[in-house]
Amino acid sequence: MTQMATSAPVTPAAAVPVSPAPLNRPRRGRRSVGMSVLLHGTLIVASLIAIGPIAWVVLSSFKPGYAVQSTEITLVKDPTLANYEYVLFETSFPTWFLNSVIVAALTMLIGIFCSATTGYALSRFNFPGRRPLMMVFLVTQMFPVAILIVPIYTIMATLGLINTLPALVIAYLTIAVPFCAWMLKGYFDSIPTSLDEAASLDGCGPFRTFYRVILPLARPAIAVTGFYTFLTAWGEVAYASAFMQTDDKFTLAYGLQQFVPQFNAQWEYLTAAAVLVTIPAGIVFLFAQKHLVSGLTAGGTKG
Amino acid sequence: MRRITKGIAALASVTLAFSIAACGGDKKEESTEAAKVDPASLSAELTWWDTSDAKNEGPAFKELISKFNQTYPNVKINYQSVPFGDAQNKFKTAAAAKTGAPDILRAEVAWVPEFASLGYLYALDGSELLADEADYLEAPLASNKFDGKTYGVPQVTDSLALLYNKELVEKAGVTVPKTWAELKTAAQTIKSKTGTDGLYVNAAGYFTLPFMYGEGGDVVDTASKKITVNSEQNVAGLKIAKDLIDSGASVKPSATDSYGTMMTLFKEKKVAFIINGPWEVNNIKTAPAFGGVENLGIAPVPAGSAKAAAPIGGHNYVIWSGVPQEKAPAAVEFVKFLNSAESQALLAEKLGLLPTRKSAYEVDAVKNNAVVSAFKPVAEAAASRPWIPEGGQFFGPLDQMATEVLIQNKDPKASLDAVAEKYKAEVVPAYSAS
Amino acid sequence: MTTVTADPAPSGAGLLPKLRRSWDKHWSAWAMVVPVVLVMAVLIFYPLINGVWISFTDQTEANQLAEICTKSITGGEVCKENPNAWSFVGFDNYVNILTGKIGEFWLWAGNTLVWTIAGVTFHYGLGLGLAVMLHRQIRFRGLYRVLLVLPWAVPAFISAFAWKFLFNERLGLVNSLLNAVGIDSVAWFSERWSALLVAILTNIWLGVPFMMVALLGGLQSIPEELYESAEIDGASAWQRFRAITLPGLRPVSMTVILLGTIWTFNMFPIIFLVTEGQPAGQTEILVTGAFRAAFEGIRNYSLASTYGVLILSILLIFSVFYRRVLRKQGEVW
Repeated sequence: MTQMATSAPVTPAAAVPVSPAPLNRPRRGRRSVGMSVLLHGTLIVASLIAIGPIAWVVLSSFKPGYAVQSTEITLVKDPTLANYEYVLFETSFPTWFLNSVIVAALTMLIGIFCSATTGYALSRFNFPGRRPLMMVFLVTQMFPVAILIVPIYTIMATLGLINTLPALVIAYLTIAVPFCAWMLKGYFDSIPTSLDEAASLDGCGPFRTFYRVILPLARPAIAVTGFYTFLTAWGEVAYASAFMQTDDKFTLAYGLQQFVPQFNAQWEYLTAAAVLVTIPAGIVFLFAQKHLVSGLTAGGTKG
Repeated sequence: MRRITKGIAALASVTLAFSIAACGGDKKEESTEAAKVDPASLSAELTWWDTSDAKNEGPAFKELISKFNQTYPNVKINYQSVPFGDAQNKFKTAAAAKTGAPDILRAEVAWVPEFASLGYLYALDGSELLADEADYLEAPLASNKFDGKTYGVPQVTDSLALLYNKELVEKAGVTVPKTWAELKTAAQTIKSKTGTDGLYVNAAGYFTLPFMYGEGGDVVDTASKKITVNSEQNVAGLKIAKDLIDSGASVKPSATDSYGTMMTLFKEKKVAFIINGPWEVNNIKTAPAFGGVENLGIAPVPAGSAKAAAPIGGHNYVIWSGVPQEKAPAAVEFVKFLNSAESQALLAEKLGLLPTRKSAYEVDAVKNNAVVSAFKPVAEAAASRPWIPEGGQFFGPLDQMATEVLIQNKDPKASLDAVAEKYKAEVVPAYSAS
Repeated sequence: MTTVTADPAPSGAGLLPKLRRSWDKHWSAWAMVVPVVLVMAVLIFYPLINGVWISFTDQTEANQLAEICTKSITGGEVCKENPNAWSFVGFDNYVNILTGKIGEFWLWAGNTLVWTIAGVTFHYGLGLGLAVMLHRQIRFRGLYRVLLVLPWAVPAFISAFAWKFLFNERLGLVNSLLNAVGIDSVAWFSERWSALLVAILTNIWLGVPFMMVALLGGLQSIPEELYESAEIDGASAWQRFRAITLPGLRPVSMTVILLGTIWTFNMFPIIFLVTEGQPAGQTEILVTGAFRAAFEGIRNYSLASTYGVLILSILLIFSVFYRRVLRKQGEVW
């Protein structure tokens, strides 16, 4: 992971205030054995709690429908792959999957871009409207989404966006960007302004400074907000259910609702689909978490 | 089967009683039909939101569409399965914005008066869809009427019945109960003789209606605009339900997933009697532990002191008022086809859906279908519900009441009074309290 | 703007030059925020302000149109004037809701309060603990991180069901474990507080990964060197945590607690799916109660908006208060 970090783009800044750290710098203080046991013990228990209910989902996905809810509690009962087969080959799952990937990827890219620029402006420039803007971002999160859906539908209809993926991307951005901008603002605040000043002395404009100097240093926060944005788009149901109308435009989270008829939700398919939905999200996190390394020192090493 | 469906397209528009009799694979189909409209000349693209079970029921509807297209090759049907749970809100949001609603919708019975009152549906009076109105069973058709006009045609009807496990009933040597009192003793006998629980009363508003109807009660009186939910009769009915639980005849229901628990127990032979509708038959049939449809007994709901009655349910076909007038003929033809006696017979045979047409019950395949014929008297005796736009809102407060009375042991009268107050304040303010 | 052009700003502090100076100085900042502001204005603020207006009327789906038209399939359209068209009602909706004439505002508000405080406290506490542990260089760190983040990645309505199922009275795992050790089954959803407890547990489980990841991101901005020098100075682990970690996490913590509170307050699916408001509506929180009151059957837009405005007001008061507390501690935003 440390190697990954050092491959960060070279910053033009000459004066990086953070002291350079050697590549495999020694860990401070050695942990005692007892401490290690405690640490791993806690993490193992926490992991078990985290995956417990998920294990139920996974186990159910291999059961036939009648065995998912039963008076006998069993781990495995008549194991079958039929649920996965049905979900993958007899529904529009692949289409939904593709739509979700498109929507989540676009939301993530545009979301990070918008919130990074906004967060930077909020952090570095004391422009008129700055404080109100931050408050305004909060207010957008305060009004319950359920109440906003009907008016937003009307707006989307006016814009001709009903049953199109951009409608979802835009709607998800309104959820994700305010949080991400706040988050990134906080992170940018912790990056010394002397870096900006140095870059500006080197002749970089505000935009160049931002992209070449600050952004690379903010990788951990970008990773966090990126993952957050991705998941927001990946799992959202309410907007998708209102705006998407044909099978070829459904996203995964909404498509799954087709396994919930008026009576008797088809839990065998829901759980199988849930597993298939969770895996890509886990993979995305695997990539994101690689960037959860100290951006400041990593950038500093090249200084 | 094949013989019947072959002639479907042609028969759809012929007078039904006659067509069934004539349905012997004879050749007069083209000649009678072509005289009216040339099916190939109709050309349109229609969207249909189907709210049925996408996996188990969807294929049968798709089959109907392909049959329709054999006669009407130029009417393209975009079949869209929409999850039942959000179809109502989804349709209303789209219809209110005048964009994106489907041409045709399969609407739950309570939705139709509501949508109609909002101007979201076409009135179908005077169209071919209602030309044979008399063929429809009266009660299911009634849910389509609002303010003197008819806004849909009934696709399927249903009602609650007493479902029982034949094996357990025989083992305990009890007869199928005809009254709530008999049900109580039967359930207690089963419990003492077989050790298995006798009954599961689902603690939900809709499922308490048979108890209230049984004593002659109802939630509102639409004719005199009165809220009658806290009447003596309803209190008496709920006391019966509560007594079933308190006396141990029924399992104590749980507050969440009461329905699912009931079905799981029934399917695994852990309870002998439940009250539920025809929609569960397939589910019970396929449960490996239950013993197939042979083991499933179906009887009308037990009677109270006044009568035996259960609420009517079902689904209707409606046409969105935003459909351009030039597409209307195609939409009418399509709905007419979907709801012909033959189509209904096909759905009854394949899915066990109860037809809404009298003539459909005359078709051999329907007549010989054990489940459908067992449910036929149930459906015929079903009590009509108040078909007013607010009809769907009655159940939220009733659900709360059911939990309070059947689970939290509250006084039925007090709970029903609270429901009446809520109806007055939030649901039907124009009605008078009793 | 054009109105000022005629006057060449005699006092030297005219609007235009002032604006121009401001523009020259701040154009880049504005350019950075403008796309976001535009989208927000159209999609959120317009409906929101409209919502505030609607809360002073009695608009519902049924009375919002001046006339209702019935189209006949055979052609023709009959339009009738809406017999009870909507009207301005002033504060009636607010009075009805706050006095309990409609809905159960105070019960729901009480639930919301318990729900939010419990949720955010545990989210933050557990998230912080796990983040600190996962920040250290330990074996299997990547694996732990992925496992612990999974609850966030499963579609929420599926995990809500999983939890509801675990606590199912008759068929659930929890009760059968209790039975196995000789304790009677608990009817979890038959009592207000036990039902709420299950919902809160579900929400904690769902929300900890987010806090953990956010704080993990925040921990990266604390220079390692600070810890090293503190250690040389002989600071204990707890002292280092108090003196370096917590202050270093300040900006991130401030944000996630503030937004976490707002989100939890308005968290819809868990209550809606896990307790379904059971028993008898006693575990409804404000958003779910408002949804059921206003969106089942004929949609009551004015009632929904009134609830929306009330929720918004509570959260606004909270954030102003929050900001004041932070400012006392020297933090400004």
